[in-house]
Amino acid sequence: MSEAAISLPDGFSELEQFVADWARPTRTERYDMRLSKSIDDLTEFYDAIAGRAEEAIEYLNGRDIEALTDADARLLQLLYSLILVSYPVNIFNQPRIPDSGAAFFDCVVEPAV
Amino acid sequence: MTDNQERSARGKRKFTSRYPELGTDPVDYEDAISPAFFEAEQEAIFKRSWLYVGRSERIPRPGSYFTRELPGRLASIVVARSLDGTLKAFHNVCAHRGNKVVWQEHPQEETSGSCRQFTCKYHGWRYGLDGKVAHVTNEQEFFDLDPSLLRMPPVACEEYAGFVFVNLGDDPVPLRSHLGERILELEAYPFERMTQRYGFSTRIHGNWKLAIDSVCEWYHPPYVHGRFIHKDVAKAEKMVPPVDAYHYDLFPPHMLTSVPGPPPLPPREPGTAGPAARDQRWVYRLFRAGLFGPDDVPDLGELPDFLNKGEIRSWGNDQFWLFPNLSVQIWARGYYITYAYWPESVDSHIYEIDLYFVPPVNATQRLAQELVVDSTIEFAMQDVNTIEATHSALATRASQQFHLSDQELLIRAFHTYVRQAVEGFQQSRDEEA
Repeated sequence: MSEAAISLPDGFSELEQFVADWARPTRTERYDMRLSKSIDDLTEFYDAIAGRAEEAIEYLNGRDIEALTDADARLLQLLYSLILVSYPVNIFNQPRIPDSGAAFFDCVVEPAV
Repeated sequence: MTDNQERSARGKRKFTSRYPELGTDPVDYEDAISPAFFEAEQEAIFKRSWLYVGRSERIPRPGSYFTRELPGRLASIVVARSLDGTLKAFHNVCAHRGNKVVWQEHPQEETSGSCRQFTCKYHGWRYGLDGKVAHVTNEQEFFDLDPSLLRMPPVACEEYAGFVFVNLGDDPVPLRSHLGERILELEAYPFERMTQRYGFSTRIHGNWKLAIDSVCEWYHPPYVHGRFIHKDVAKAEKMVPPVDAYHYDLFPPHMLTSVPGPPPLPPREPGTAGPAARDQRWVYRLFRAGLFGPDDVPDLGELPDFLNKGEIRSWGNDQFWLFPNLSVQIWARGYYITYAYWPESVDSHIYEIDLYFVPPVNATQRLAQELVVDSTIEFAMQDVNTIEATHSALATRASQQFHLSDQELLIRAFHTYVRQAVEGFQQSRDEEA
């Protein structure tokens, strides 16, 4: 991956280390990543993004949601991933939903951005 | 009762006693585990009922189409908008030698798109948007062929409130007669404004009716979803609304559950979510959303009066059950979810969940919707595994008498309606014979 492809908007550079794993455009990729990680990894990611989340939301609210740059879109995807890992970190204390066995939903349609 | 519970209690009497025809006896679940009943149900219900196949926004213009592979080998169909704007449905079968006409890459996968004609990949026969033959390759080589009589076999197709239904039976009752007055009231809702769609699908190893049972009562949440409510189940039990906070209604064969929910959080200034914490309530505050929807509710004008007829305090949603296999759940916070259940066999079905929102105009709205979607699916996954556990235990037939409380009225009603539909069909068939 080139330097440019992992960049985030100015001011969010300390989150770059999470871009490769978590700035992913589809929910399926984000969910697969959640299941592939330990709860400690998820907690580390959660803490890092949560600490900057409100600023990130404010920054993105100043952008046209229909015309985000690649860097803006990656920041938004980190926030999607924050939501997806909040359940394991805050509720389940494990990456999978407890008692969900083999259950899994395929995401067949989702917004482009 | 806690203060919270006190506030939503309504002192209502029981609902089941309003429907003496349903009785209060214990029930059996033979209809969920018997292969013979499954066959009868496919014949009596799925092969001759109006079945929801998708929203009309999926086919907005003349030439727009989608295909559906209806589970349980029911049918493979094409739904298209014809040149005059009306919807047409037909079996996805070529009149020449039966090849599937409309597909891409994988014949078993659904597809969608826009075109003027459908071309069979086998020998190049072409069909119009109404399914009629438009071109026969080397027509002169055939014997006594009358192309004007050739077509992909038609399927009844009707639309209501933007919901597209098909019926595989011959000469079905009109869709609107099947839906009835109470369900037709849903037309007043601005579904067409909610075009931001998230779609999910899964296979569940359990009977489709058990899946419907699992979500038409609100008795299970402190147990199945207890961790979401409170990590101590004794506390979770006290946090859910009391049983009389809910409202049920039956308009056979359709049904309604009406549910309380928390009011939205008040607006807040940017930067006031408080310091980051490992606490889901902080996440809900940050993203301004929770399981019951976004806190910033889109302006949809005045709420149509078909909603919350049970006058629930702090109303959360109305979940309409459209017989046989669709539920439309309209949320107080301005979005809706459809749930569809497609039996494949006595012990397996496909479960489809689609969530629809007003398109977001900024990141805050987009993220709130994402959180609602993720919460809904986390909850749904817990429900799914419970269904598999129930089915596998029922199938042992170790017990054959089960008990339904008042808040499980819809389960009692739904199984009754299914059995009545099967018996009614068999009776009329026997009379014809």
